[in-house]
Amino acid sequence: MQNKEMEFKTIVSKYCDMKPEDIKNDMRFREDLGFSSLDFMSFLGELEDTFDVELEEEKVLKIIYVSEALEILESL
Amino acid sequence: MLIRNMIEESSRKYADIKAVKWLQKKEILDINYAELLNDVIAVRKGLLSEEFAGKHIAIIGASSVEWIESYLAIITGKTVAVPLDAALPEEELIELINRSDAEALFLSPKNKSMINAVLSDCEKIKNVWMLQNDDFECDDERVKTFADIKKTGEKSDTDSECPDKDDIATIIFTSGTTGKSKGVMLSQENLATNVEFVEFYDEPGTTMLSVLPIHHAFCLVMDWLKGFSLGATLCINDSLLHMVRNMAIFKPEVILMVPMMVETIYKRIAAADQSIPKKVLAENVFGGRLRIIFTGGAHLDPFYIEKMAEFGVDVLEGYGMSECSPVISMSRPEDNKPGSIGRPIKNAEIAFENGEILVKGSSVMKGYYKMPEETAETLKDGWLHTGDKGYIDEDGFLFINGRVKNLIIMSNGENVSPEEIENKLALNDLIGEVIVTGENNGLTARVYPEQALVEAKKLDEESIRSEIQAFLDTYNKTQPTYRQITGLIIRKNPFIRSSTKKIKRQDALIDEPMA
Repeated sequence: MQNKEMEFKTIVSKYCDMKPEDIKNDMRFREDLGFSSLDFMSFLGELEDTFDVELEEEKVLKIIYVSEALEILESL
Repeated sequence: MLIRNMIEESSRKYADIKAVKWLQKKEILDINYAELLNDVIAVRKGLLSEEFAGKHIAIIGASSVEWIESYLAIITGKTVAVPLDAALPEEELIELINRSDAEALFLSPKNKSMINAVLSDCEKIKNVWMLQNDDFECDDERVKTFADIKKTGEKSDTDSECPDKDDIATIIFTSGTTGKSKGVMLSQENLATNVEFVEFYDEPGTTMLSVLPIHHAFCLVMDWLKGFSLGATLCINDSLLHMVRNMAIFKPEVILMVPMMVETIYKRIAAADQSIPKKVLAENVFGGRLRIIFTGGAHLDPFYIEKMAEFGVDVLEGYGMSECSPVISMSRPEDNKPGSIGRPIKNAEIAFENGEILVKGSSVMKGYYKMPEETAETLKDGWLHTGDKGYIDEDGFLFINGRVKNLIIMSNGENVSPEEIENKLALNDLIGEVIVTGENNGLTARVYPEQALVEAKKLDEESIRSEIQAFLDTYNKTQPTYRQITGLIIRKNPFIRSSTKKIKRQDALIDEPMA
């Protein structure tokens, strides 16, 4: 796993009872990882602060899968 | 003392104290109490000179200084404010504007896509003011800005007279068990006495961070009206995405939250390196000055109260509902009991009927707008039937231990009517029977597929699931987060029904063949 992806999954792991290496890209934040809607918002804010990026709120709130969040992060 | 008198008094006593602070990009902007009152009076005079006296005026938008000034201008004059949830689907907002008989609308620029629909489908609407001071391009002359109505008022010499205590000040919509949301009518006295009897006192200039949706009675009354009565500085959290960052910026001392927020903040603390001193962690996660979190709207596990206390933060649970303006009982820093929702506030008389909590007093609503039957069911001889079951212990603390109505209370405090969602889901041909339950912080649809269709199309379990999931995905896209379905369970057997053939909701989790 690349460093950025690992760092990303370490942040994901804070909000669920899973190790970063067990978080798969085809998992869904709410249904599979048990994120509450607010966990998800807080997680996105933490991504912004950690990677010093600005996320488009309307776009990121439509994210369902781990892979989608990773793709957006990679594209910035 | 009505809200108008309270705001006037605060602007005299705390003239130079910052009333509101907010972020514009990375800059912190603010206004003080004297400026706040000037704006409120200008907008109030503007509404009067545009001939809106006695009329209903809707507001749609997230928290902003223009939002709260508009709200105060409406309720301190003889006009009625109808705050609506900006996250609702457009057609629902249109329906609520019409059902509340609103004749004007303050609208956030973020919701500008609905202007045309408002102008064509809301016949009574005479004016729309965008909640912004910059110019707004629109061909229709009915659409203006907050700055325009303020300017109109500044030119006028005539101010609205003070409302009477029995005048309706606001109509707040709340989920109805029959699936149609109900407009709770709160009088001037209802609001003012709730602000007065909530026993929370703090120094003028205390920093509060407002993170809840402003159209909710809890946020509107406890954050904004109570905060203004104390001379507090209300800081606006511009997005839930940035709640933690904003806590570091504004360094709040007091925050109102729903349980879900306390849980999320705690996750941030628990995930941090435990060798970091608690004081440093508190600074990183919530700014370092946080003393009090008021929470309400849903039950909070006492675990979080204990954990937050380790960081010097008192988490104080309270209880209320829009129908009671909204606070009914609250815990105080020096007087609370874990697991309880505090003592009833002094203007709330409590009684019980078959275990259901009843409330009487000066903060109990006047009724549901244009819904006499629902009003009669809820308000009997002045007693409000809360739908919650509970008891008062020997020390006078109130506890909740169940619900009479079917509403699902989400941990973000939103009340969801399962019937309302079930009616929408049942429109799908493949869904024979459906019950929606609240589980794991989300909603789960339990579906018994329509057997005739399953047989005709020869569907196996996997294809039934994928077809219904696709329908749920489409449904979810049209709904605010709290009404989205996050779990799907396909049943093998029909739901258990009562002797009157109604599905027994309490047995919805049992999936066994009928005896």
